[in-house]
This record gives sequence, C-alpha cells and structure tokens, in this order.
Amino acid sequence: MVDGDTIVLQCRDISVHYGDVVALSDLSVAFDRGKIHAVVGQNGAGKTTFARAVAGLVSAQNGQILIDGKAIPPGNVSGARQAGVELVHQSFALPPSFSVAETMQFGAQNRAVYSRKGLEKRWQKHLDALDVKVSAGQRIRDLPVETQQSVEIARALVTKARVLILDEPTAVLSPEGTAKLFERVRRLQEIGVTVILILHKIREVLAIADTVTVLRGGLLVEGPIDTSGIDAARLSELIIGPDLRVVDEDDRAALTGSAAVAHTTAMKEAADGPPVLDVRSLSTRVDPDGPALDTVDLTIAAGEIVGVAGVEGNGQRTLVRAISALADVSAGTIELDGVTMTDAAMKARRLAGLRVIPFERNVEGLSLSSTLWQNWSIRMLLERSILAFIQPAELRKRCNDALDIWDVRYDNVSQLAGSLSGGNAQKVILAREMDDQARLIIAAQPTRGLDIGATSFVWDSLRKAKHRGCGILFISSDLDEIMDVCDRVVVMLSGRIVEAFEPPYDLKKIGAAMTGLSK
Amino acid sequence: MHDIIIAILRSGTPLIYVTLAAVIAQRAGIWHLGLEGLMIVGACATILTIVATGSVFIALCVAIVLCVLMSILFWFVVEKLKANQIIAGLGLTGLGLGGTAFAVEAIFGTQAAVSAEFGLPRIGPMFGSYGVLSILVVLMPVCVIFMWVLLRRTRFGLRLAASGEHPFAARSVGVRTDLMRLAALMIGGVLCAIGGAELAAGSLQIFSQNMTAGRGFMAFTAAIFGAGQPIGATLAAVFFAVVGAAGIRAQLVFGDRVPHDLLLGLPYIATIFGIWLSAKLRGGTKAVTGFGELRDS
Repeated sequence: MVDGDTIVLQCRDISVHYGDVVALSDLSVAFDRGKIHAVVGQNGAGKTTFARAVAGLVSAQNGQILIDGKAIPPGNVSGARQAGVELVHQSFALPPSFSVAETMQFGAQNRAVYSRKGLEKRWQKHLDALDVKVSAGQRIRDLPVETQQSVEIARALVTKARVLILDEPTAVLSPEGTAKLFERVRRLQEIGVTVILILHKIREVLAIADTVTVLRGGLLVEGPIDTSGIDAARLSELIIGPDLRVVDEDDRAALTGSAAVAHTTAMKEAADGPPVLDVRSLSTRVDPDGPALDTVDLTIAAGEIVGVAGVEGNGQRTLVRAISALADVSAGTIELDGVTMTDAAMKARRLAGLRVIPFERNVEGLSLSSTLWQNWSIRMLLERSILAFIQPAELRKRCNDALDIWDVRYDNVSQLAGSLSGGNAQKVILAREMDDQARLIIAAQPTRGLDIGATSFVWDSLRKAKHRGCGILFISSDLDEIMDVCDRVVVMLSGRIVEAFEPPYDLKKIGAAMTGLSK
Repeated sequence: MHDIIIAILRSGTPLIYVTLAAVIAQRAGIWHLGLEGLMIVGACATILTIVATGSVFIALCVAIVLCVLMSILFWFVVEKLKANQIIAGLGLTGLGLGGTAFAVEAIFGTQAAVSAEFGLPRIGPMFGSYGVLSILVVLMPVCVIFMWVLLRRTRFGLRLAASGEHPFAARSVGVRTDLMRLAALMIGGVLCAIGGAELAAGSLQIFSQNMTAGRGFMAFTAAIFGAGQPIGATLAAVFFAVVGAAGIRAQLVFGDRVPHDLLLGLPYIATIFGIWLSAKLRGGTKAVTGFGELRDS
C-alpha cells in the first residue's frame, strides 16, 4: 500500500451494476492529494459511473470509497459532499430558471432564509473571487455553455471542496474555452484542491494532468500512471485495447484525440454537374433550436464531405432544420442538385435525394416504441400516395435484408427500436437514410455516444457514400473527427459561417474561428 | 359595493388556500389533480366533527390530519409505486368525493346536506359589515406571504423548486427529492384542509355533496396561470373569484335576458381564457420529472 498520508481518495473494489449491465467491476484505485488526475477511456468504459459513485450519486453494490482514509457511506451525496467531494456534470445539472445566485444558494449550507439583494451580493463576491465573469442575478438559461460550466464549478466550490471531479468538461468547449478551463483547474490545484478530470482526448490528458488512469469496459486497465512516463501512442493503445478491428492510422488518432493533426486521406472526388447542395445567402427567423441563420452560403459538390465545426448551439441545428424544411426561411435560396427547393416540402426534398441522420438518435431519428421494420420503412411511406396499401410482410422481409447488409445486431425485425444499443440503433438509421437514391446526406453528430467500433463503421459508411457520389454535410462538435473525415470544413458562429478551411487543417486556427477570435 | 367585496372574499379565500397547495405541489414537480378530493374531505371533516364534538378547534385538527394522511397516500402512490400522477390525482379526487358522500350517508342515513349549529369564529361586529367574515379570511394574506417567503426566499424553497424543475441537479447536491415532494404534499394537505374548512364552515356552516364544485381544479389552473409563483397564482385565484362574483351579479341583473346557464359558465370560460393567455405569454410551463438520467452514456 502507498503511504496513507498522501492519498486523498481511495476506492476499494467498487462495483456498480445497472440491472444486468456491469458499469464498473472491482475497481481499486488511489489518488494523491493536490494533483491533477485524469481518468480516460472509451464511451461505456465506466468513467461517468466512477465519478458518480465517488460523488454518491450512484450506489456501489460493493466496495468502499475512502476520503482521507475515512469511508464515506455509499450512495449518499450529502455524505460525500461533507467529506469534500464535489462533482461537475458533463451536461450541467443547473435548473434553467434559477438565477446564478440561487444556484449557489441551493447547494450551500449557510443561511436558510435570505433576501434577494443580500443573496446576490454574497454570491457575487464568491464568483468574483473565483474570477467567474457573470452577474449573480442572471438566469442560468440565458448563459452560454462555457459560463454555465464556470458557474457549476463555482457551485461545486461553495463548500470546502477537497476533491473536485469534472466529468468530460471539455466536451462542450472550444479549444479556447478548454485552455481557459485548464488555467482555472491549475489555480484550483494551487489552492490545494485535488482535481479529477474525466477526459477522452489524449492530447488534453497530456496537456493538463499529472497522472492518468485508464478504464476499459468497467475495469481498471492501468493507473494512476505519471503522465511524464507515457506517450500518446502508448496511452491510445491502453484506451483502445487489443481491439481486433484494423483501424486506419488517421482514424485511430482521431478516435483518441492523439493526432498531431496531419490529415492525409482527405481528398475530393469532385464530379462535374451542379453541386448537390447549393445554399445562397440563406437567412432564417429565430428558431426554437438555436440562433437564426444569417446569410449562410454553402455548397457541397458530389463526392464531397463538408464538415461544420463550431461550439454547440451556434446555428448548426438551424442549418439542418432549414435544409430539411423545418425552419422558417426569411431570405436566400436552397438548391438540391440544381433544383430550387427553398419552399419545397420535405417530401419533395426527400424525393430529390435528401437524407438526414438527425442530431437526436432516440428522439428525431427513431421511434423507440415502434418496431424496427416500421422505423426502417417509414421513409417509403412518403414516396407513395397517402392512400396506398402497405404490405407489412413484404416490408419486414426487405427490412430484414437491409439490416443484415448494414450488420445490425438484432433478434427480429419486429422487436422495438428502443431495445437496441446506441451503435445498432444508429445503424438502423444509416440503413434507412443511406440508400442508393441518396444524393445529399446530412450527418448530424452521427457518432455521438458510440463506441470505437461503431464510430469507425459510421465513418466508413460515409466514405463509401462519398465514393458513390453523394454529397455529405457532416456536423460534429469533435474537431478531431471533423478533421479526419472531411474534405472541407466550415466554422459556424452565432448563425453565420465565419470561415472555411481546406486540408491540411490547423487545429488552432479552426479553434480560433469557433470562438470568434480570428477576426 | 361592500357586499361584492365580501362575496369575493368569501368565495375567493377557500380557492386561494387550495391554490397555494397547487403551487407548492407544482414547484415540487407534481401535477396535483387530487386537490378537489382533499378539499372536500377537509370540508366534510370540519362540519361532521363540529356536529359530533361541538369544537371548531378539534374539527380543524381532524380535517388537517385527514388531508395530510391522504396526501401521504398520494405521495406513496406516485413516488414509491411510480403511478401516473394524473391518474392517481384523479383517483384521490374520486376517493374524496365518493368517500365524503358515503360518510354522510352512513352516519345520517340520508344524502341531504348536513348543517352545523355554528361555524368558524367570525372577526366580529367591530368591523361593521365585514364582521361576518371568518378568521381564516384574515389569516389568508398572512398565509400567502408566508408561502411566498417559504418558496421564494428560503433554501428549502430553492431545493423544492430544483426537485421539480431538475431532479438530477437537486440530487447532485444531496437533496432527497422524494422527501421534498412529501413535504410539499403534506403542506398542501394542510392548506387543502383549511380551504375546505373555510368553504364549509366559513360562512354557510353546511356540508353538501360535491360542494367544492370544481374549485380544486380551478386552483390547479390558477397555479398554472400564475406560473407556479405564490403571488401570481393568488392573483389568478382572485381573478377567478371576481369573475365568479361578477357571474352571480350578472345573473341578478341580466338573468331575464341572458340564458342562466351561460352566466353560470362564465368563470369556466374565464379559466379557459386564462390558460390560453398564460400559455401564450410563457410558452407553457414545464415541470421536468426525470429519473432516467442516471445512466452512463
């Protein structure tokens, strides 16, 4: 055993199951005081579960969690907070209607009754001390994500936090925001807070952390290892593990974020004829899903993958909605394959070859309470008369064939879509949307939440579609992925396309454009 | 003029108490459609206990205890057994309406109205014509302000609101959302009992079947109308009371020219208008009741 004095957090044999799914099994790990620790792993490796178990949000079925050598009761947030453990969630846990001051207050311990002025004054001091630039009277829902994150970190520090866990804090940030966050983390380290960062990019791990711990499939692979004694290649091996799939070098780098960012595979297969998508000076009215588009120009040629980079919430959703006839267009034109479609209904656009892999797989993409064959065949209903008969038996058979081609793992086509895992569910959508008549495929965050195998499957599929001559609009908040897959990258900021990039890409320049610093 | 104000205070006070119950439930994330049932149980228990014991104090205690017990039952069904809130609430209302009718029938052998010899204490002749109002009418503004402080200016209120709006955020700071909901429903039970007592014993001293006549649902509407804010919802309840009083007045004045039933429906037409208006102004109210977020993505 390591010297007890230097260890602040120790986990002994903790296991967590959700029903039949084992999220963590017999994890034993110890973290030193006053350092910055990283915990890495693929999706589903158990990182978030680990964080929540330590914070008391999920109850470990067995094992012990010790803070400063004292066991804290499992599944008890108050107990964990009293021991000094605070967790900042990946998607922030802040009630949107609360003001910043109220957010601080509801997790604090002092003063049960307050006046609004006193409350705002008191917490403004706290925010100023932490150098969070926000007014205590503002409502959470009015704040940009980066500020929300700072607020949640400030919220976590209202009590004497000794161990601060940040769950994938960089997932919502631009490279610029990430740099600022890391500065903040270092300052916290200076005042004696032990910080545990859940990350999934090797580049970030090596930039900030003192030690790194690797999880895979709910098991501890190795760690904590000093980051000085490990390089990106070795770390990516630990994360991916002895995966049998042969992964292209660039893909591997993108998957783990270890890229030194040299992209070699991007190349156009440009064809003659009109572009598949031609958007000119497109503006929309304000959309419930994001800011209005402001004179957006975008063309996609046949056989071209164009990536849209940007911090989430800068109009990517509005762009997809405008192309799929959901947003109110106020000016400009949309052409598909040379045919003006600005005011056309979705049916006409689909017949012209528009296909959409939507942002929310389980909300917009699939009806989870319907069967696979219903989900798969739904698009065909648009192609026929509304009174046309349907033959379920035939559709089931065709669905069966299609899903087999797409390598979906399922029992039978009559099972509910909700019973599939994320990767398989996404393959059902691919099978539906990437048919032979597709001309323009919008892939909105197609790999979010998928594991490495499913992610590279999606990339392969998109590349195959590209070779068939489809134009692809690829939207992602993961820059490594965008730079690996796309032939051209445009950056969206506040509903506008602010800059376009061609390979070889420069991560720093794209990042600067995302935050509006390059202008 | 005075008689109109007295009429509004008399019909408005029970509604306001129950509205506050609706507000606290809504803030805790519960769509409470059982208010009607709790209110009538409060009304029935008050009158029957006055008849049986002759004590108003004991009557209020019995009403409160019964309503709190029913609230705990409701909490158990929706929180522990995970039943649908709407169905369980309607069930609670059915239980209240049917149970009180059954109780009266079982005790007196008839479904006729039960009248007590006296009701709640009045504020007395020194207030002139307002002296006929009960002490609960005077207590009402105090109660509204108390609820405003509790919900808007205490940490308890913040935690309650977080439990309703974003349960995961509440649990992240160690709040037991189930206990917050229990507290909200129990406080709501007390308020419904008081509202029912005021309705039955505040001016009439009588209990008749179905005498709440939809006030519980109106209170539910007022809470939505007021966006879950105690003051706003109270104003909405006052608005309904004013419309109701105006409806009665209109019957007296235009009763010979306008169909009687149309005038009776006036408060309900105003309610529908109110819902439409509040939805238009705010884009609807949202109460998140999610328990599914605790999965590793």
